[in-house]
Amino acid sequence: MLEVDDLTVAYGGVVALNGVSLQVPEASITTVLGANGAGKTTLVRAISGLVAARGGSVRVDGTALTGMAPERIARLGVAHVPEGHGVISELSTEENLRLGCLWLGGANDRRAATEEAYELFPPLAARRRLPAANLSGGERQMLSIARALAARPRVLLLDEPSLGLAAVILAQIMQRLRELARSRNLAVLLIEQNARSALSVADEAVVLSLGSVVARDRAERLARDESLRHAYLGF
Amino acid sequence: MRNPLLRHATVCVALAVVLVLLTYVFDAFTDYKIAGVAIFFIAAAGLTVLTGVNGQLSLGHGALMAIGAYTTSLLLKEQPQLPMILPLLAAIVSTGVAGAVIGVAAARLRGPYLAGATLALAVGLPQVAVHYGSVFGGNQGLPVPVPTPPSALGGDFPNERWLAWIAIAAALITLFLLANLVSGATGARLRAVADDEAAASLAGINVARIQVLAFVVSAACAGLAGSLFAYWVGLTAPSGFGLSVSLQLLSAIVIGGLGSLSGAVLGSFLVVMAPFTISDLAGNLNLSSDVANNLPLALYGVVLIVTMLAFPRGIQGALFSLWRLAKRNLRRPQAPTVSTTA
Amino acid sequence: MRTFLILTVDGVTSGFIYAMVALALVMIWRATRVINYAQGAMAMFTTYVALFAIQHRVTYWLAFVIALGAGFVFGAGVERLLVRPIEGRAPLNMVILTLGLLILLEAVAPMLFGGDVKSFPAPFSRIDITAGATQLYVSPFDIFVIAAALLVMLLLLVFFQRTTIGLRMRAAAFRPEIARLLGIRVGRMLTLGWGLAAVLGALAGVLIAPGIFLYPNNMDEALVFGFTGAILGGLDSPVGAVTGAIVVGLVLSYVGGYLGSDLETVGGLVMLIAVLMVRPQGLFAFHRQRQA
Repeated sequence: MLEVDDLTVAYGGVVALNGVSLQVPEASITTVLGANGAGKTTLVRAISGLVAARGGSVRVDGTALTGMAPERIARLGVAHVPEGHGVISELSTEENLRLGCLWLGGANDRRAATEEAYELFPPLAARRRLPAANLSGGERQMLSIARALAARPRVLLLDEPSLGLAAVILAQIMQRLRELARSRNLAVLLIEQNARSALSVADEAVVLSLGSVVARDRAERLARDESLRHAYLGF
Repeated sequence: MRNPLLRHATVCVALAVVLVLLTYVFDAFTDYKIAGVAIFFIAAAGLTVLTGVNGQLSLGHGALMAIGAYTTSLLLKEQPQLPMILPLLAAIVSTGVAGAVIGVAAARLRGPYLAGATLALAVGLPQVAVHYGSVFGGNQGLPVPVPTPPSALGGDFPNERWLAWIAIAAALITLFLLANLVSGATGARLRAVADDEAAASLAGINVARIQVLAFVVSAACAGLAGSLFAYWVGLTAPSGFGLSVSLQLLSAIVIGGLGSLSGAVLGSFLVVMAPFTISDLAGNLNLSSDVANNLPLALYGVVLIVTMLAFPRGIQGALFSLWRLAKRNLRRPQAPTVSTTA
Repeated sequence: MRTFLILTVDGVTSGFIYAMVALALVMIWRATRVINYAQGAMAMFTTYVALFAIQHRVTYWLAFVIALGAGFVFGAGVERLLVRPIEGRAPLNMVILTLGLLILLEAVAPMLFGGDVKSFPAPFSRIDITAGATQLYVSPFDIFVIAAALLVMLLLLVFFQRTTIGLRMRAAAFRPEIARLLGIRVGRMLTLGWGLAAVLGALAGVLIAPGIFLYPNNMDEALVFGFTGAILGGLDSPVGAVTGAIVVGLVLSYVGGYLGSDLETVGGLVMLIAVLMVRPQGLFAFHRQRQA
C-alpha cells in the first residue's frame, strides 16, 4: 500500500505540488489525471525520491520514504517507469531486464524473473539480444514495464505509458496491467494525460490541477462526471 | 558615460597614464615583469574572446603564439633593421591567417574533439621548428635583438622600460578593440553561439562564420603576443612555446574569471607575477632545488584546483560575491545574516 | 623491409600502451563526460611509487601490483574528492580541474622523488629475440607489453559485458537517472570507473617507463597520443579508442622512422586533423543522438 500524505514540492519559489494526499491500496490501480503542468510527473518523481519534498510524507507498507535517495527507495520495492519509458537503448533487451532484477536474492530468482517477463510480453522474447534502440515504441514500453515488474515491486509508478503508443497496443498493455495488479498484489499509480484509457483500467482516480487535488473518486464514477471531464480532462 | 566607445577609450588612456608613470617608479627588472604581464594579457584576452565568450576551448594557443614569434624572428633574421611595428604587424597577419585555417577546421569540432585537436597542435607545431632547423634555428632557436629606445628619450633610458611601454601600448590597444568587439553586436552573436548553437542558428546567426571569426581575432592577439614575447625573451625557440604556455593562458582566464577581459587582466597578472614571487620566497627558505624549482608550479596547480572547487567564477566572481555580501551587511547591520545556500 | 618490420613492432608496442591510456580516457568520458587530462600524470605518479618500492627491495612483480593498486586508490580518490563536488558544472571547469591536477602532480613528483631522469626496470629482456640465425625484431619485453595489454582489455571486456557490476556500471554511465531508479548507486559506479581507469593508466605507466625512462612529465606524450587515438576512434567507442591508438602508434613510428623523429608529433597532428575533417566525431562514432 502506497500512502502519500500532504506532499508538497517546490522548485525554487514555484510550488509544483501543494499538499497532495492519496492512497493506493494493494491489488489496485489509482490513476492521476490532469493537464500538462498539473504536477503529475513531479508527484511520481517525489515518490521515487528524484525530487526532494518540501513537506509531507510518502509511505510504502508503513515505511516512510521521505528523504531517502532514489536508489534506496527502488530497493524498498518502488518501481518507477519514467516518462518516455526510460529503457536504456545502448543495452540489449536482456540486459535491460537484468537491470530490473538486480536486487532479487539468487541467480535462479533473477533468471526466473527475466523468463517471466518474456512470458508476459512475448514480443520481447524474440528481441533478447537486440539493442533496445532497435525496438519499436510499443516494444520499448513493454520492456520498461517488464523491467519494472522484474524487480517484483510492491508499488509500481507509471508515468504516461500511453505516450506515443498506438491505441491497440495501449489497450493490450493496459489490460495486462490490470491483471498484474490483481495477480501480484501490486499498488499501481498510473499517471496519464490520456484520461479515457486510464479511467478504463483504474479503480480510483485523482485529478490534479496546478499542483493540488481537485477531485477524487471511483474511476467509473469520475468518468461519468461530465462537468469534471470538461473542466480538467478534455473529453 | 553612456557611449561604450568613449568609456573604453577613457579607461584605456587612464590605464596608459598610470602604467607609464609606474614604469618610472619601479626598477628595470620590475618594468621587465610589467612588460611580461602586458604581453601575456594580450594572448589571454584573445583566448577570453574564443573560450570565455564564444565557448570554443583551445589548448593550443601557445602554438599560435609560436607562429607570431617565428614570423617576427624570421623577418628580423632577413632584415635586422626593420622598425619594430612591421614585424609586429606581420605576426598579427600571419597568425590571423593561421587562425582562419584552424578556425574553419575547428568550427566542425565540438567539446573534447576540439580540445584534442588543439592539444595536438600545441604539441606538434613546435616540432616543425625543430625538424626544419636550417630555417627555424632548431632547438637553439632564433635570436631576437633587444628593441632599443629612440635616442629622443635620452641616452640612459632603460631598454626594459621601453619594452614595457611598447607592451603596454599593444595591450591597451588590444583591450580597447576587444572591449568594443565584445560589448557590441558581434559580442552578442559570439555569446549567443556559445549559449546555444541551434537557437543562434535559428535566430539567423551564421554559427560557423562567427566561430571562425572568434578564432581569427583570438589568433591575431596570440600572434601579437608571440611577437612581443620574442622581443621580451630575446629568443624564439620551440621550448618557449610548449604545452605549458597554452595551459598557463587557459589558467589565467579561468583564475581571473572566465569570459571577462578584466578577469583576463587579473589572471595574467597572477600567472606572470606569482612564479617570480614564489621563487623569491622559496629561495629564502633554503629548500632543495627539486622542491624550490617546482614549488611555483605546485602552488599553481593547487590554485587551479581550489579555484574550480571553491570559486568557479574565478577571482572576479569571488570578489564580486564578497562585495555584495559586504554591501548587504553594511546596509542592514541589524539584520541577521541570511544563508544563501540554494 | 628490415626497417619496416622494426618500425611496425615498435609502433604496435607503443600503440598498445597508448591504447590503455585511450581506454582509460574513454571509460571516464563515457561515465562522467570528462576528459581526464591528469590521466598520464597520475600514471607517472604511480610508476614513481613502484620505483620507490623497488628501491626498497620489493620485487618487480610486487611493485607492479602496488602500482596498479595505487592507481585504483588514486583514481577513486580523485573522483570522490575533486570531481564529485563539481559534477554538473560547466565542462570547462572539469577541464581546468584535471589540468590543475596534471600541473600539481608533475610538480609534486620531483619534490618527493627527485627531478632527475631515472631508469625503470623491465621484467623481461629488451633485446630482440633471435631464432637460429634470423633476428625477429621483437623482444621478450615487447611481447610482454602486448600480452599484458591484450589480457587487460579482455578482462575489461568480460567485466563489462558478463558481470552484473559491469552491467550496472554501463547503466550508470548511459543513463544515470534511470540507473538510480533501478536501485543502482551511481556515485559508487563512477568512483569504481575512475579507479579502474587509473589502473589502466598505471599499467601503461609501468610498461612505458623502461623504454622512455621515468621523469615528472614522461607521460605527457602518452597522454596526447592516447587522447589522439581515442578521438580518432571516437570517444564513445572503446573498440574505436583501442584501434585509433594502435593506428597512432604505427603512424608515429613510420613517420619517425622514415621522415625524421622530430616529425612524429607533427605526423600525429596531421593525421588527427585529416580524420576529424572527414569524421568530426571520430571513425567509430555512433551518430545517434544520446539522450540526456
